[in-house]
Amino acid sequence: MTVMHKLLGASAALALSAGAAAADPAILFDLGGKFDKSFNESAYNGAERWATETGGSYAEVEIQSDAQREQAIRRFAESGANPIVMAGFSWATPLEKVAADYPDTSFTIIDMVVDAPNVRSVVFNEHEGSYLVGMMAAMASETGTVSFVGGMDIPLIRKFACGYAQGVLAVNPEATVIANMTGTTPAAWNDPVKGSELTLAQISQGSDVVFAAAGGTGVGVLQTAADSNILSIGVDANQNYLHPGQVLTSMLKRVDNAVYDAFTQGEALETGFNVMGVANEGVGYALDEFNADLVTADMQAAVDAAAADIAAGTLAVHDYSSDESCPALTF
Amino acid sequence: MDVMPKWADVILIPLISILLAAVLSALVILAIGESPWAALKLMVAGALGSTYGWGYTLYYATNFIFTGLAVSVAFHARLFNIGGEGQAVLGGLGVALACLYIPWPHWSLALIGAGLMAAAFGAAWAAIPAFLQAKRGSHIVITTIMFNFIAAALLNYLLIGALKVPGSMEPATATFPPATHLPSFQDMFNFGDTTFFRGAPANVTFFVAVAACVAIWALIWRTRLGYELRSFGHSESAAKYAGISPTKIIMVTMLVSGGLAGMMAINNVQGEAERLVLNAVEGAGFIGIAVALMGRSHPFGVLLAALLFGFLYQGGAELALWTSIPRELIIVIQALVILFTGALDNMVRMPLERLFLAMRRAKQ
Amino acid sequence: MDFATLLQMLDATLRLATPLLLACLAGLFSERAGIFDIGLEGKMLAAAFMSAAIAAVTGDVWLGLLAGIGASLVLSAIHGVASITFRGNQLISGVAINFLAAGLTVVVAQSWFRQGGRTPQLSGDGRFNPITLPFAETLRDVPVIGPIYFELISGHTILVYVALAMVPLTWWILYRTRFGLRLRAVGENPAAVDTAGVSVVGLRFAAVGICGVLVGIAGAYLATALQAGFVKDMSAGRGYIALAALIFAKWRPWYALYACLLFGFLQALSLRPDIITGVIGFRVNGQFLDVLPYILTVIILAGFVGKAIPPRAGGQPYVKER
Repeated sequence: MTVMHKLLGASAALALSAGAAAADPAILFDLGGKFDKSFNESAYNGAERWATETGGSYAEVEIQSDAQREQAIRRFAESGANPIVMAGFSWATPLEKVAADYPDTSFTIIDMVVDAPNVRSVVFNEHEGSYLVGMMAAMASETGTVSFVGGMDIPLIRKFACGYAQGVLAVNPEATVIANMTGTTPAAWNDPVKGSELTLAQISQGSDVVFAAAGGTGVGVLQTAADSNILSIGVDANQNYLHPGQVLTSMLKRVDNAVYDAFTQGEALETGFNVMGVANEGVGYALDEFNADLVTADMQAAVDAAAADIAAGTLAVHDYSSDESCPALTF
Repeated sequence: MDVMPKWADVILIPLISILLAAVLSALVILAIGESPWAALKLMVAGALGSTYGWGYTLYYATNFIFTGLAVSVAFHARLFNIGGEGQAVLGGLGVALACLYIPWPHWSLALIGAGLMAAAFGAAWAAIPAFLQAKRGSHIVITTIMFNFIAAALLNYLLIGALKVPGSMEPATATFPPATHLPSFQDMFNFGDTTFFRGAPANVTFFVAVAACVAIWALIWRTRLGYELRSFGHSESAAKYAGISPTKIIMVTMLVSGGLAGMMAINNVQGEAERLVLNAVEGAGFIGIAVALMGRSHPFGVLLAALLFGFLYQGGAELALWTSIPRELIIVIQALVILFTGALDNMVRMPLERLFLAMRRAKQ
Repeated sequence: MDFATLLQMLDATLRLATPLLLACLAGLFSERAGIFDIGLEGKMLAAAFMSAAIAAVTGDVWLGLLAGIGASLVLSAIHGVASITFRGNQLISGVAINFLAAGLTVVVAQSWFRQGGRTPQLSGDGRFNPITLPFAETLRDVPVIGPIYFELISGHTILVYVALAMVPLTWWILYRTRFGLRLRAVGENPAAVDTAGVSVVGLRFAAVGICGVLVGIAGAYLATALQAGFVKDMSAGRGYIALAALIFAKWRPWYALYACLLFGFLQALSLRPDIITGVIGFRVNGQFLDVLPYILTVIILAGFVGKAIPPRAGGQPYVKER
């Protein structure tokens, strides 16, 4: 699309906001960009699915720095976009500031809770999905040592690691779980070089299954795992296709569903608190033609049974973010 | 050596350089399949077409005035302070400590207190490289680069440790208490029904920045210290002969420079974010180099150049929002400005000098 | 820490030191000829992008390498024209080059591949694969020497060996050839070289060109050997660490190797917090390890541990006297 075209589109949207007619929804991606092959891409897929099914169009932006967040929300709100969906916890602070200024606009934030009347907060039970793939890792491992590479060291990522470790230990109480974080700045989401070195270090410690919850860094983790002939586990989106036959599974976090739901509900978006877990298929594991040979019938049966228990409430997975501690892993 | 009239040196050369940078930038936009003219129109509309746009443009410009002045002051003493980035990071730390731990009764007092802390922290971060340059001859460019990295790591260490809000995902301090919040342009220019600058981050710090321009102008051209500083920059040996202590000049210049860079933090940390985040400076320290070069190290020139870069930044953000041109285009433009007004200055200057020489000969 | 772990650490050290070493030697040629180069970072980034982009498009990593070197040479040429021909400020020119690369790589990558400033993942012949040296498999079971040869020395990509070979080669060129003698002289006293009838401008351009080639290889190594594709800002400050290593090495080739191995080892160490805790008994902060190279360089620069004296004519444009 040419600039001119978009420019006209933009001014048209501005004109629309005056009449407050039916407006397009908008999605704001986080710093990794919409082609990060995991979290943001999952959000993007949800938006695309909505666009293909309804034939509608939506506005989108990939921000390049934190300072743009507030500006981006405001610009979309002023242009009349509704609802406005934000992927990523970092949007919480600017949204808290801005939401009250646009009471007629509905917002959705994924991965964080913002308490405002016109905001829908979607959070996922990542610990439950991580528990399931942790079980699979333990069953697939021959060395009894498995590992985890996290992106930025924040409570959210520790929640993944903690659920994963619990799943591993549930299958094999003797197993060793190695957990490393890539860094403490947002750059840790996009550092495949370090992700790959961390993986090699874990392999030298005996790991033969590695779970990456690290955004763009995970690309390096999966690549190195494939190069070194060990198994890996993808995250957020289904990443099995990246290295067919070498990715054990992917911990699915249905960000796409969250975006799709918000877009479908449109302006009449149901606001409030929304938890997506194993019970309502918000998280899970991926099974497709690329990993069919890796997942045995035993494995699938055990994991499905655990999933049913979690959904029924008979199996409780500890949530790291509830008390910032983990019974299965020390950080 | 005055082969050219002064106006040519001060106005004509920068103008040609910027024109060259603009032409190349336009070529880059063409090369990625977009229309430079439409992009420019979108940038002007987004940055200058509304009080909202102006509010952002002036906000960015305020940052760049501080860092531009910081680099300029050092240039006058022929010192290249590439460490504005790290000094501004430390300035932010000073502001955060002042705002979080001192109970200010009113924003005006908080502005003064946090401003002093910002300047002190920035100056302290510049003091070590300055001392090493003055006493041990360590190249100030290299040491200030190293100090940028050390500052970033130090801030990271504090923001995930001592200053972090428990349970929070982000490496950031708590939000500052309301008493420290600076009045934004929206608060200041609110006339009943019509609200100007709605939602824009420009705030009272802009006037502090303009005042800093005047103060630095006075310091450089109206005080004895400024005279010493300029003579030192002109010729170190002559300055020594005249009884000017190089150690003193290097230290004082760098303290002023670091202090100015640090004071940027009252705009972005106290004025805008109202808390300290990891990458609050966002390269403004480096843009200071471009601003100082373009403004010919004169405070008034710095003011104009900072406004231009404020426009580029806000316009660039609009481009990123409404077109597929990434915001990194602004970094390209910034690089071209530094290249043409700084490194390739002689490329424009030499032919012009020849031209003026020829014109003078023709007259005679 | 056992022997196998140590070997693994040293293996990682070698991998991580390679881009530093290539960039450091690149800077050495340039600065020994009197041209300061703080644009190493930008050239490395540009080369990383171009090598990955061309390798992704053609599927041939060698073409990628050439393209990477080409991109780096273009920036070198800009630096040369600005600082040699037009006698501009070398530091400012370096700053401009760093920004130019940081901006252009993302703008071009985005418009070319539309993957958020990234190139497609490389596979097969599109990247440099590890090579197993002769007899590595057979010698593997020989005690001590076997594992060292198999784990540490064998099994790297060709560029690692190129980088290591560049160290003695650089030493030989600088200290055993006439070109090297003149190159060093031009960085110390260009007027004398000029008087002897040798072109200062020519020598300096040659040095800047060699610098471009070497740092180009460093960038290509990042994107096509260490990783399988380009991501935005992937040089991640390595150009500056190389600059620090150059000062640490006092502008000498063999010391450059040691400095880069030391800094590479620090990077490898930060990947294994468990080892640090195991050896010294308490947790060391990750940020501290990351900035240690910079702190060490400042200490060296301050002259507290030996004095680092740069080439005397470094940073000064040469003006021929009439």
